[in-house]
Amino acid sequence: MARGKLRIYLGAAPGVGKTYAMLNEGYRAHERGADVVIGVYETHGRESTAAQARDLEVIPRKSIEHRETTFEEMDVDAILARKPERVLVDELAHTNVPGSLHEKRWQDVEMLLDAGIDVISTLNIQHLESVNDVVEQITGVKQGETIPDEVVRRADQLELVDMSPEALRRRMAHGNIYPAERVDASLANYFRLGNLAALRELALLWVADRVEENLQAYLEEHGIEGAWETRERVVVALTGAPGGDVLIRRAARMARRAHGDLVGVHIRPTDGLAERSPELLAKHRQLLDDLGGVYQEIAATDVGVALVNVAKAERATQLVLGESRQSRMTHLIRGSVISQVLRAADSIDVHVISTTGSEEDPAGVPLVRRRSPGITRRRQVAALVVAAVALPLVTLLLDVLREQLSLPSVLLIYLLVVVAVASIGGFLPAAMAAIGGFLLGNYFFTHPVHTFTVADDDNLVALIVFVIVGAVVGDLVSRVARRRVQAAQAQAEAETLARLSGTLLSEQDPLPALMVGLRSAFGCASVAVLRRDGDEWHIESSAGEPVPQRPEEAQVSVPLDAETTLAVSGSGLGASDLNTLRAFTGQLSLAVERRRLRAEAATAEGLVEANELRTALLAAVSHDLRTPLASIKASVTSLLQSDVTIATASRTELLEAIDAETDRLNNLVGNLLDMSRLQTGALELVWRAVGFDEIVPAALQSLGDPAARVVVEVPETLPRVNADAALLERAVANLLANALRASPPDRPIRIFAGATPGRVELTIADEGPGIPVDQREEVFRPFQRLGDRPDGDGVGLGLAVARGFVEAMHGELTIDDTPGGGASVHVAFPVAT
Amino acid sequence: MDPVARVLVVDDEQQIRRALTINLRARGYDVDVAKTGEEALEIAARCHPDVVVLDLGLPGIDGVEVIRGIRGWSQVPIVVLSVRETETDKVAALDAGADDYVTKPFGMDELLARLRAALRRATPGAEEAVIETPDFGIDLASKRVTRDGEEIRLTPTEWHVVDVLVRNRGRLVAQRQLLQEVWGPQYHDETNYLRVFMAQVRRKLEPDPSRPRYFITEPGMGYRFELPD
Repeated sequence: MARGKLRIYLGAAPGVGKTYAMLNEGYRAHERGADVVIGVYETHGRESTAAQARDLEVIPRKSIEHRETTFEEMDVDAILARKPERVLVDELAHTNVPGSLHEKRWQDVEMLLDAGIDVISTLNIQHLESVNDVVEQITGVKQGETIPDEVVRRADQLELVDMSPEALRRRMAHGNIYPAERVDASLANYFRLGNLAALRELALLWVADRVEENLQAYLEEHGIEGAWETRERVVVALTGAPGGDVLIRRAARMARRAHGDLVGVHIRPTDGLAERSPELLAKHRQLLDDLGGVYQEIAATDVGVALVNVAKAERATQLVLGESRQSRMTHLIRGSVISQVLRAADSIDVHVISTTGSEEDPAGVPLVRRRSPGITRRRQVAALVVAAVALPLVTLLLDVLREQLSLPSVLLIYLLVVVAVASIGGFLPAAMAAIGGFLLGNYFFTHPVHTFTVADDDNLVALIVFVIVGAVVGDLVSRVARRRVQAAQAQAEAETLARLSGTLLSEQDPLPALMVGLRSAFGCASVAVLRRDGDEWHIESSAGEPVPQRPEEAQVSVPLDAETTLAVSGSGLGASDLNTLRAFTGQLSLAVERRRLRAEAATAEGLVEANELRTALLAAVSHDLRTPLASIKASVTSLLQSDVTIATASRTELLEAIDAETDRLNNLVGNLLDMSRLQTGALELVWRAVGFDEIVPAALQSLGDPAARVVVEVPETLPRVNADAALLERAVANLLANALRASPPDRPIRIFAGATPGRVELTIADEGPGIPVDQREEVFRPFQRLGDRPDGDGVGLGLAVARGFVEAMHGELTIDDTPGGGASVHVAFPVAT
Repeated sequence: MDPVARVLVVDDEQQIRRALTINLRARGYDVDVAKTGEEALEIAARCHPDVVVLDLGLPGIDGVEVIRGIRGWSQVPIVVLSVRETETDKVAALDAGADDYVTKPFGMDELLARLRAALRRATPGAEEAVIETPDFGIDLASKRVTRDGEEIRLTPTEWHVVDVLVRNRGRLVAQRQLLQEVWGPQYHDETNYLRVFMAQVRRKLEPDPSRPRYFITEPGMGYRFELPD
């Protein structure tokens, strides 16, 4: 029997005319000749509504006693007995009085529908379960009577009885809905314009199946608190396998159609062995993000169960999976994720989608495939050899012991061989050994002996069990071996990472060490960190040969940051290594960054040093200038005193001091100027061939009386040199002045010259304290005496200027010891051509 | 003629030593000279000078160390004579125990005036109780200040500041010393007090407070009451 059809008139509020519409519809059907009865209807004393019932047959209500009050409920049994074509049932959400057939009227209706009777009913939006709390938030009235959305959704026809809020209020005010005494209160409360508008909106949206997003907007706009969670949620399973994009797009479309959320879930297997490609997964994640989806990643052993659990936790209504890429065999043995999901999914709709339309080419994607099979070919061969040797031997032995042993014992001994073979060579040799054992056992030890026929069923069972056990053991062994290798690999990766992290912590500049570590960890020919400089790349750090000059030259290049890239070349870098490599790049970025910071710090340090030096130089210059000034001023102010008479001898002394200090000051200013000329390169040289015999007397003369003790031995026959005569004279004068200061007053200074082939050398030898070897460079630095500490009087600028001049004229100035004590300064020039 | 006082001149510059010696001897001082810090400490210990004129930039131990060395056993007035002109250098010397600080290049008059002031402090009781300037008169005994015959009222704190400065006339009174004498030992960093009270004193006594002639500020060091000759 066909189930009856359900038609519901949905209204936003009481009084919009649902019952009216229902009765009207019923009557029209009746007029068309349909068998229509009224199961139950409420006019709420509205005459116009009651009038619509006209001459339709009304099934009398059933009276039910409850707590000494009589209630009237729809008589379901009577309707079923009457069995009309169509029945009108007002107020679908009505709660029956206790003692009725069902708790709710919609359950009565279900019964009628099941009986093949069409039902026309009415419903107010506020009674819908899903919008119940929203209605409460809007109107402030809690609805006790609710009806599951499912029931309404299942309705064959849903018709909205719409009326504008203003019209409804007008009807209300006219007393068409409630009795006059309730009108004012109702208009002020439930029937406020805003409430009605909101309820109407709600009803419209619900009907249009666009309830959520618009209502949400409405609620926000009107500051109504609380979220309304009835969204469809589509969960899509991401594996990182090719074709995932198709899944995501499909799921996104489904979510959009349902105005629901999109959630992408990646179940990361805890054994870490699954095939997955991080690149694709990242791409899929991005796609998901672009399509407004949320990404979740969960680690679990049982992928299917975990997926369903996440979907349930997310209150998903739909779950989207990709078609399996597993082989049929794997399905049979290990079961498929899809069937796991289907079993566990309960109420969630599961969509399994073909991914063949994907643009992602499985072949082009570096599918992560573990390189190591666990058991090497050599081990397999060795196992086969063992099997080939051991099986005949055991057979011979067993043949001797034939009388003492039963077949199960024989097979157990064969099994021992199979297990041994399995432990060496894994599944394949074990399977072959098992078959060999089976055949040998069969041939030699089952009746009839020396045939491959088995007479006894019992023996046949033993043989078959033997083969199965052998195969299973072999499989287990090879699996264990594979996992051990994988574990070892993982450990090695972890160790490498840990070691390199250690490098990062302990080294000042960890980059070179990281390069070397990286190269050895991946066994590649060369690695380099390249830095982009415009269109050029230069090598920041590298290890191995040949160093890739540009990222394009490298086999693998991974950007570290905006400017630097890691380039790896000449390697058997497998896809699985990319993971580890990626972990390295984090470390490398840190190292590169640290290197940059260190460079900056060094620059800053240099600036600080330069600044300190400049301050010290200023202090030195100010001291050297002020000291003679102080003497001059002290002498002059002494001479200006009027209250005392200074003896003539003393006056002369003061005047001489002024004279000497003025010279000293002038000399200093000259040296300062020379120095700045040297340093700014503003020195203008007048080249000519000059002889030391011209220069030395002029220099001596400029030094005045103190130079009297200088012993001069400069022959006039020496070749001349190319120089600026004035500068050379100043250089020699400075050197002489220095020697005079350094040497005790009673010791002579010697100045002499000599020629070697192509060169002429002038030497100034004093008998002072000399200059220790390690200070011979320092004394030429301007103001190497810092501050105003006069350690070694006047060693400020003289030597620096002298050397500056000599070197500017392509000469050479060196210091060594005077034989017998003191310092000797040598000035050497090439012979003038 | 008995020597006025015995002066130890410490400077590594021969010309400075010579100029000072000539001047001081012409005024009847006995002069000892030292070229290094070590020599200065030795002569100070041996000759007991009445005042020391000390350069800071010396070969060997530094001038500031020499001050500390002398202060270890003697309160002899020390006048620093140096090219170092930063506040840090001045405060370091004063904190070590120097009495006054004259920067090079210097006028001989100024140095001699500072020397006299330093010597006066060393011989207390010899000071006059009444000081007359062209602009005002101060009677330290009766605590009265008069200007053009009229008495000028000073608050107790103002008077205290004036009293300390006038008793040390011609000499530098370090900020810290002034604060501790007037406000008490726990005060040493509240130099803004000094600025406020010195401004009030100048308004009451100086003919042109913005160009003080008597109550001189030595930036970074302290204050000095100058008596024009």
